[in-house]
Amino acid sequence: MSLKYMTPTEQFKKYLPKDYVELVDYGPFGKSQDEAGVNNIGQFKEVLEEHPMCSGCLMAYFIRVFFAALPNPEDTVTLGTAGCGRLAISQAAVPFIYGNYGDQNAMASGLSRAFRLRFPDKKKDVVTLAGDGGTMDIGFSMTMHSWIRGEKFTTIMLDNEVYGNTGGQESGMSPQGAILKMAPEGKKFEKMPATELAKTAGCVYVVRISPTNIKKTAKSIKRAILVAREVGPTFIHVYTSCNIEYSIPTEEVFKDAKDQEKDRFSFEEYMTDEAREVIERIEGEEKKAKKAKKGARKEEVVS
Amino acid sequence: MYYIAMVDAEKCSQHKCNICTLYCPEANTLMFDKAKNTSWVDVDRCKGCALCVYVCSDLLNRGCISMVMAQAKEA
Ligand SMILES: Cc1ncc(C[n+]2csc(CCOP(=O)(O)OP(=O)(O)O)c2C)c(N)n1
Ligand code: SF4
Ligand code: SF4
Ligand code: SF4
Repeated sequence: MSLKYMTPTEQFKKYLPKDYVELVDYGPFGKSQDEAGVNNIGQFKEVLEEHPMCSGCLMAYFIRVFFAALPNPEDTVTLGTAGCGRLAISQAAVPFIYGNYGDQNAMASGLSRAFRLRFPDKKKDVVTLAGDGGTMDIGFSMTMHSWIRGEKFTTIMLDNEVYGNTGGQESGMSPQGAILKMAPEGKKFEKMPATELAKTAGCVYVVRISPTNIKKTAKSIKRAILVAREVGPTFIHVYTSCNIEYSIPTEEVFKDAKDQEKDRFSFEEYMTDEAREVIERIEGEEKKAKKAKKGARKEEVVS
Repeated sequence: MYYIAMVDAEKCSQHKCNICTLYCPEANTLMFDKAKNTSWVDVDRCKGCALCVYVCSDLLNRGCISMVMAQAKEA
């Protein structure tokens, strides 16, 4: 899929915003995921720009991967709320909507419905990205109700197990016993079972992941978005450590993510039969197209 | 003064690699030059986290990236 709305002609290029032209010339606009996706990240200009998130932040890393993995960046809208993530999510060449605290899933419900009415012939992807506080505490009712209503968009919870942006309050997603600035005796309650709640509330595709494998992470993001287009609500619960509030030396952030993969963030992928059908159909078609392309290239070489 | 990452291009280009670039938390920062077969750092964007050092040295045992003091550019 590609940005074919507007291909700048050479004569007109100088009048267009430089950032836009760069994304066409050196970035993913107008290119396939194979040409400019997670497999060759670092070799093209990404849609994400500079932002003020902390050095070594795993949440910033996941957001980087998220934007590179979008199946349809030119027709995607992200929604977020107060919290660290929006500092970066807002700095990408993808429209971002920022509302009151925790209402991202309510806004996304209206937006995705409006897109379906206004652009019935187009695929428009809607994704909410918010912290654990925004998704499971303060935004809890709006998250749950959007799932119960079966709204067709993707919810991503950036779980750093704390309120990072406001300096270390415990959240429903902090693990029991976690000692934080504002939980000095350790959290007394259990971590909320987010993926179980999602399944019970009607999410049709649910993933829990620590983003240590870029391909696997990107695959989950893509699947969640494609399934939401056709079937119903999808949910990704991703570990995005806060090295500041959990005092993780930045060079050990990746090691910690690996450790968490064996602990609270063991990989889990759930899908309903209907979701599975969609995934198998789309991935099957992609495989066929790739094979055909390879075959055509071979023929070209032979002739 | 602060630290930034620096890639030893000669050492790095001996490997067919491009792994560290997959793990930098910052976009458009730790890039890979296919023609020269080496990664390189856009120093103005590097936040000095040393995650790339962990990947190259601890995970891959290649030791091609080190942290150095950022130098002010001459005006
Ligand atoms: C209605 C309302 N209450 C409180 C706040 C203050 N506030 C800003 S960010 C935040 C919590 C952030 O925690 P989380 O959602 O987990 O995101 P993180 O910063 O950890 O990524 C709070 C309480 C607010 N902006 N609006
Ligand atoms: S406070 Fe924590 S979550 Fe927020 S940007 Fe810094 S390291 Fe990341
Ligand atoms: S991980 Fe090391 S060897 Fe590999 S590309 Fe990066 S600097 Fe080069
Ligand atoms: S030190 Fe951190 S920000 Fe700088 S290049 Fe390495 S991983 Fe990227």
